[in-house]
Amino acid sequence: MIEFDHVTRTYGPKTAVADLSLAIPRGELFALLGPNGAGKTTTIKMLVGLLRPSRGAVRVSGFDLVKDPRNAHLHIGYVPDEPCLYDKLTGREFLWFIADMFGMPRHLATQRIAAEIEHFELGEFADELAESYSLGMKQRLVFAASLLHAPDVLVLDEPMVGLDPRSVRIVKDLIAARTREGMTVFMSTHTLAMAEEMADRVGIMVRGQLRFLGTVAELREQMSLETTSLEQLYLELTNPLAKRQQREST
Amino acid sequence: MRQPATITALTTAGGEPTGSTATCCRLLSFEAESRLFFRLRATVAWALLRSMLSGARLRLSLVILLSAMFWGSLYGIFVEAFSFLDALHAEVISLLFNAFFSSLMVMLVFSTGILIYGGMYCSPEARLLMTLPAREETVFSHKFQEAIWFSSWGFVLLGSPMLVAYGVVRGSPWTYFAMLLPFMIAFVVIPATVGGICCMAMVAWLPRLRLHALSIALAFACLGGLWIGWSTLSTAKADSMSAAWFEQTFARLSITEQKLFPSWWLSCGLIESARKGATPNEAWASLSEAAKFLALLIANGMLLQLLAGMLARRAYRLGYSQLAGEVPARRRRPIGWFDQALMNAGSTASRPLRLLVVKDLRLFRRDISQWSQFVIFFGLLGLYFFNVRSFNYNNAYASMIGFLNLAVVGLILSTFTTRFVFPMISLEGRRFWILGLLPVHRDHIVWSKFLFSFIGGLIPCCGLVLLSDVMLGLPQRAILIHEICCVMLCMGLSGIAVGLGARMPDLREVSPSKIASGFGGTLSLVISSLFIMVVVVVAALPTHLFLASSAFGPGGTRGLLAWAGSAEGVAASLATVVVVGLIATFVPIFLGLRSFRRLEP
Repeated sequence: MIEFDHVTRTYGPKTAVADLSLAIPRGELFALLGPNGAGKTTTIKMLVGLLRPSRGAVRVSGFDLVKDPRNAHLHIGYVPDEPCLYDKLTGREFLWFIADMFGMPRHLATQRIAAEIEHFELGEFADELAESYSLGMKQRLVFAASLLHAPDVLVLDEPMVGLDPRSVRIVKDLIAARTREGMTVFMSTHTLAMAEEMADRVGIMVRGQLRFLGTVAELREQMSLETTSLEQLYLELTNPLAKRQQREST
Repeated sequence: MRQPATITALTTAGGEPTGSTATCCRLLSFEAESRLFFRLRATVAWALLRSMLSGARLRLSLVILLSAMFWGSLYGIFVEAFSFLDALHAEVISLLFNAFFSSLMVMLVFSTGILIYGGMYCSPEARLLMTLPAREETVFSHKFQEAIWFSSWGFVLLGSPMLVAYGVVRGSPWTYFAMLLPFMIAFVVIPATVGGICCMAMVAWLPRLRLHALSIALAFACLGGLWIGWSTLSTAKADSMSAAWFEQTFARLSITEQKLFPSWWLSCGLIESARKGATPNEAWASLSEAAKFLALLIANGMLLQLLAGMLARRAYRLGYSQLAGEVPARRRRPIGWFDQALMNAGSTASRPLRLLVVKDLRLFRRDISQWSQFVIFFGLLGLYFFNVRSFNYNNAYASMIGFLNLAVVGLILSTFTTRFVFPMISLEGRRFWILGLLPVHRDHIVWSKFLFSFIGGLIPCCGLVLLSDVMLGLPQRAILIHEICCVMLCMGLSGIAVGLGARMPDLREVSPSKIASGFGGTLSLVISSLFIMVVVVVAALPTHLFLASSAFGPGGTRGLLAWAGSAEGVAASLATVVVVGLIATFVPIFLGLRSFRRLEP
């Protein structure tokens, strides 16, 4: 469903992502972890077509994001870290704009918009201008918009920022349900507990390189730390001092 | 290339059945996409209009009223000017049209290019659209229409009274007035599209050099404009407004009469369509000629739009990616000697106040949008004042021109205080968690803004007024009067902006321009304008009478008018100006302080 084929992205002399090869199949929830500046955002931007790789190719459902971006976008739903809405559109108008942009038939769009409004509890403010929304309300609306066209791939960049605990629960349940139904989720997050709870596989990126790729259990096994949490494993993997100590001890 | 134009739908979020294999999405046709963007713009525009009608009636009424007044005044001036020119030199009109439209053409290339750059590459909307299955050319078209609206409203406001006046003076047929709008629209599309093409090409293929390329092009355009302006105005004083001066000036402006320029097509088309024609055949011939020029403009505009669409398809995503991949340069910013000196000068008690002023000074210096506008407006004023002597005014006029220049300086300062100083307190409100926890009295925050605005405005304004008066050759006492008025204007305008900003803060808004365009900002601009009017009128009349009576004797004036023109009258008017200035400064500040002390962010 998602393919990174030897993808490298440089910013002048700096390599943000180095030779990333990664395939995420249908129905998998993948969490990309890493410290600030590791290359997560660059990876996400390449996956949604905001950035072009310097080398290699990114494909979604078989469509190359550079060669055939429109068809690729048809399969992607994207929730950015900072929700972007039209201030002078109401939530409902925004959902209609997205539905129309994806060419959804009228009857299906009506049905989906009503369902997403109900599911994300947007009904109370769906007919108010987006300029009056709080961050959490905006984020919920963006979630609803990203799922409207039932994408094959959902890309989430720090999805829980600004959401209250109830909304977090709604989103988590929804992601789990959609994944079971075959949707692929690519999520970048700093919330390790969420990654541990939800992800089928995690990838840990450090300085543009994928240092680890596998399940949390495999990570524990690889680091010979049977009972520790993902947080401890993550810190072990991303902290150079701890790594050096680990190398010396082995 | 694989072509599955549809994807498979899943169940809805709520679990409603949709048919697991139902066809859900498809790529839109170009027409459908264009219609969708049109609907989007219409919905946004309607919502904007509704919110203005419900929440910003004062501002809307003022904008309409002032625009109508501006339009009417320009119309009157142009009717007079065209009547004068029509009687003297009919051929001059063509030259003036060419000069006006060609300079406008250059400005439209730059302004639309810059607006398209902001809209297509830097706006959050562009980021959203880039992640949707929208065509690059429709996104360009969408942002182009937005940009052309913003870049050409000035042309409509400035050009329409001129062209209507021309038609009225020439007694043009109705077809001229009917063709005006199509001519204007067809014309603006050409330079605006050129601006868009240059912008996309530069971002895609010269991403690192785009600022340099833009700066060089702008510098060339400015130098060209300055050269024409300078060579026109630098003619010897004695020759100005003479027949030889006119001839020289027209010879210089003939550079704008190039047959390959759209401005020439527009000028010729308008002049032809305005021709009455002595016989029906002549009238028909003029109309056909005008239609030919209109068709030429439309055809070129459409061709350029096609080219821009093709370029957008090739270059937009590439350029966006290039730009998004740029890492902002990290620059160390050591503490400047001036900041250091300001922080250390004075007593320890006033140090918090000075620290706040230094902070605002740094923010101002590092915000290019603030100081560049400051430099452009005051720079242009300086250029005008420097050349004011070329117009060879006599003494009686010189005094009035001096006061008018003072009013212009005040009005420009008032737009800056409204746009940049008024929102300062509102923006501090959002950072209140920092300032609120510091051991700083809240009054210091308000006073620091006042000092920053007052001192920041005082130096350029007094300098400009001095330059204007010296160039006009005014006597020392007139200069002194103008400078006193200028100090009071700077003080009062700063007091109004800071005081009202503290009295009516908008703590939710992050955009200074939106804060300034709200009710408080509009009120601040209105009060500022009234204040300027009062100061200038109160000081101008007695000073003018005084200077006139000094030059030509007391004449036949008696009673109040005679007293107003005496030294006592001038002194009284100055005292009134000072009192009005102090009221304009301290009443809003007092109200603002009282409100700011009670503010709960």
